[in-house]
Amino acid sequence: MHALKRFEAMGGARTQWTWCVPLLVLLALVCAVGLAQPSFLSLGSLGLLAGESSVILLLATAQTLVIMLGGIDVSVAAMAALASVLMALALPSTGWVGLLGVLGLTTLLGAFQGFVHARARVPSVVVTLAGLGMWSGLALMVAGATVPVGEGHATVSWLEGSSWGVHHSFAFAMAALLLVAVAQHWLPFGRRVRAIGLNPVAARLSGIRVGRVKVIAFALTGLFAGLAAMTMVARTASGSPTIADSLLLPSIAAVLIGGTAITGGKGGVVRTLIGALTVTVLRVGIAATGLNAAYEPIAYGILVVVAAGLVADRAPHSSVK
Amino acid sequence: MNSVVLRVERLSKSFAGVRALDGVSLEVRAREVVGVLGENGAGKSTLLKVLAGLCQRDGGHIAMRGRAVRFGSPREAAEAGISMVFQEQSLVPNLSVAENIMLGHEGVAVRAGFYDWKRLHAMGAAQLAKLDSTLAPWALTETLSFEERQMVELAKALTIEERTPHEPLILLDEPTSMLDAGQAQAVLIGIERLRGRASVVFVSHRLDEVLRVCDRIYVFAEGRCVGQGQRGVCTKAELQAMMLGRRHRVDSKDGSPPQEAPTSASAVILSVRDLSCAHRYHSVSFDLRAGEVLGIAGAAGSGRDSLCRALFGAETPDSGEIALDGRPVRWREPADAVERGIGYLPGERSTEGVVAGMSVAENMTLAHLGELRRGPFIGLRLEKALVRRWIERLGIKPCTSADMQAQLLSGGNQQKIVLAKWLIARKLRILILDHPWRGLDVGAKAEAVASIREVARSGIGIVLITDALDDLIALSDSLIVMKNGLVSGRFTCSAAKPPDWRVLECML
Repeated sequence: MHALKRFEAMGGARTQWTWCVPLLVLLALVCAVGLAQPSFLSLGSLGLLAGESSVILLLATAQTLVIMLGGIDVSVAAMAALASVLMALALPSTGWVGLLGVLGLTTLLGAFQGFVHARARVPSVVVTLAGLGMWSGLALMVAGATVPVGEGHATVSWLEGSSWGVHHSFAFAMAALLLVAVAQHWLPFGRRVRAIGLNPVAARLSGIRVGRVKVIAFALTGLFAGLAAMTMVARTASGSPTIADSLLLPSIAAVLIGGTAITGGKGGVVRTLIGALTVTVLRVGIAATGLNAAYEPIAYGILVVVAAGLVADRAPHSSVK
Repeated sequence: MNSVVLRVERLSKSFAGVRALDGVSLEVRAREVVGVLGENGAGKSTLLKVLAGLCQRDGGHIAMRGRAVRFGSPREAAEAGISMVFQEQSLVPNLSVAENIMLGHEGVAVRAGFYDWKRLHAMGAAQLAKLDSTLAPWALTETLSFEERQMVELAKALTIEERTPHEPLILLDEPTSMLDAGQAQAVLIGIERLRGRASVVFVSHRLDEVLRVCDRIYVFAEGRCVGQGQRGVCTKAELQAMMLGRRHRVDSKDGSPPQEAPTSASAVILSVRDLSCAHRYHSVSFDLRAGEVLGIAGAAGSGRDSLCRALFGAETPDSGEIALDGRPVRWREPADAVERGIGYLPGERSTEGVVAGMSVAENMTLAHLGELRRGPFIGLRLEKALVRRWIERLGIKPCTSADMQAQLLSGGNQQKIVLAKWLIARKLRILILDHPWRGLDVGAKAEAVASIREVARSGIGIVLITDALDDLIALSDSLIVMKNGLVSGRFTCSAAKPPDWRVLECML
């Protein structure tokens, strides 16, 4: 009993629990879909599932960084849509140069949002809501409808292949996620992000450059939105200005379902992996079992609230922001 | 003979495997003020939390007016007539005094969902009148001083009288720990007034206060009740001995080793010239030498707190100059000051000092992660070794706490973590201490004093603010006094200490 309580005090039990539940939810969901539609569990369709998850995985990874700071970025999906259109337009004539240019641009746009948020002390939800409007508007201005990619597709089409049964875009997203995981655990940057998420005042008074950390986190979010756009373009061989509408909720849902606290400071990108897989299984599973697609966002909604409820820290010591 | 209102028998409670209460028994009689004395971590606050229904006991019995009770929530405790005033104030800053007092119990002051302001103010005023307080019920709470807010807290606690048929039992968790002697006076008078209408449990670690207002005193140490005393029977020295137990006696004045004054030859590291900030401080100038303790005396609101924050880059002055080693500097944010070897121990430990949710180790190294680098990564093993060394060196308890969440440690130990955060720096030049022993008990304070002396001896310049004037004079090598934002007096203490009345004269 005492040992257990001591363990709890060190954050052990809490970590264990919040780890276990999302994983169990994921497994239960896979089993349920598998029972309803046995062919879902075949290697081929699981591979497809992994490929399907890469966009959500990248967007949710981007989102995790900002949520760990105690903020939120509602513009990631719109930024990815804008990037996908720009890539589709740039790829045929400029190839790799155009691709890197667009990635650079989304990084800058992200950094700009972070700068406005940090400098003008505007809450991140407001800044990125403005971003959501601007980037999706810009995407529509640049291209009224879906832009097909002709010849230039070769620059990104390698993402659609698979080696040893692993879909390339999934491996790509996983690699990106692992880099962020390493940054969160072993780099001073990750430690500082957590400190800011938990207590921005104490973080500042400990000599952390809060503004700089925020700008970097938002810049990375922009970069990851660009990477997500890249895998979308590879998959659909086109760029779409309206794709954002269906990606925003799942990208935030993935983070929360994984067990990262919306208040910041608690969680991490590995949890987001579980969350993103859960979201993808839901997506694919609902289609595979022939259920009405309208159930999908409803399921996200329910899961998000349940997940946030499980993670919420109700200990008397915690500060509620 | 007064009847027994509350009887506690063999109460025990553990947190995180640490015994906070270990078989405590006590009783409170009607209209009695009972003092609970003890160091930080002695279990005083835990006792009150169990009594107020904020946490559940592990074992033992509690009886109210002869009936066994177990409170599952503060509401159940309130129904039995128990009301608690917290160490950290629980008032809502942007509400009026009356709204705060009546919060949750507006009763007839709400009509069809709307406030009847006249009635609400009258109800608030009635509660304040019980304490003979003249505060305006419509005043905005955030505009009040700390001791005024404390009176509002007391008034709020008294609203329970109208809600129970019994005389209430009021629990006061260190209501004076944040106040200096003059301010505490007002609160103590408030407690005296409570005596006529309620039973009071008064938790404190200030001996004088407890001896003054309490009828009976229980002394706690390490979760046990180690002694009892009656007013007028036991002396301060006896209580002190009980509190400290087997530990050596701490006497802040006579027992301290003689101070070696820093020679005036040691270099000036920080010089401040004509520093001004509108509505805070004006034209402040001073020099700080290596190894010197510079005390800044002044009442709350004299500008000393703002000045200290400006030295650290947490606030920006309007004009004037700060020079480090003779070269003018300009801090854009605290990080700039930290990079140049300045540390700051904030006055609000739990909100500004410690990051709750991070471990003791992570808190300690937060300001100097750059010094722990192995390539681009944090050297986790290096960090662990460093943290262990400092836990041992500062005597942080429990000593296995490196991975524990910092907020679970007692106040004194949390303060040590914040101190360690700056002491681990390779090149600390200046340490700014804003009320370093606010909320600490006798033992923890003595340790803090000792470590401050040691830090200064190693050649670090210290700027010190504290409300306890005698401590400030005892510790400082030189002293500046502030009043209404201006420097109203300067003293050098290295040769002979100035008498405190002279310092006080400059303050008031």
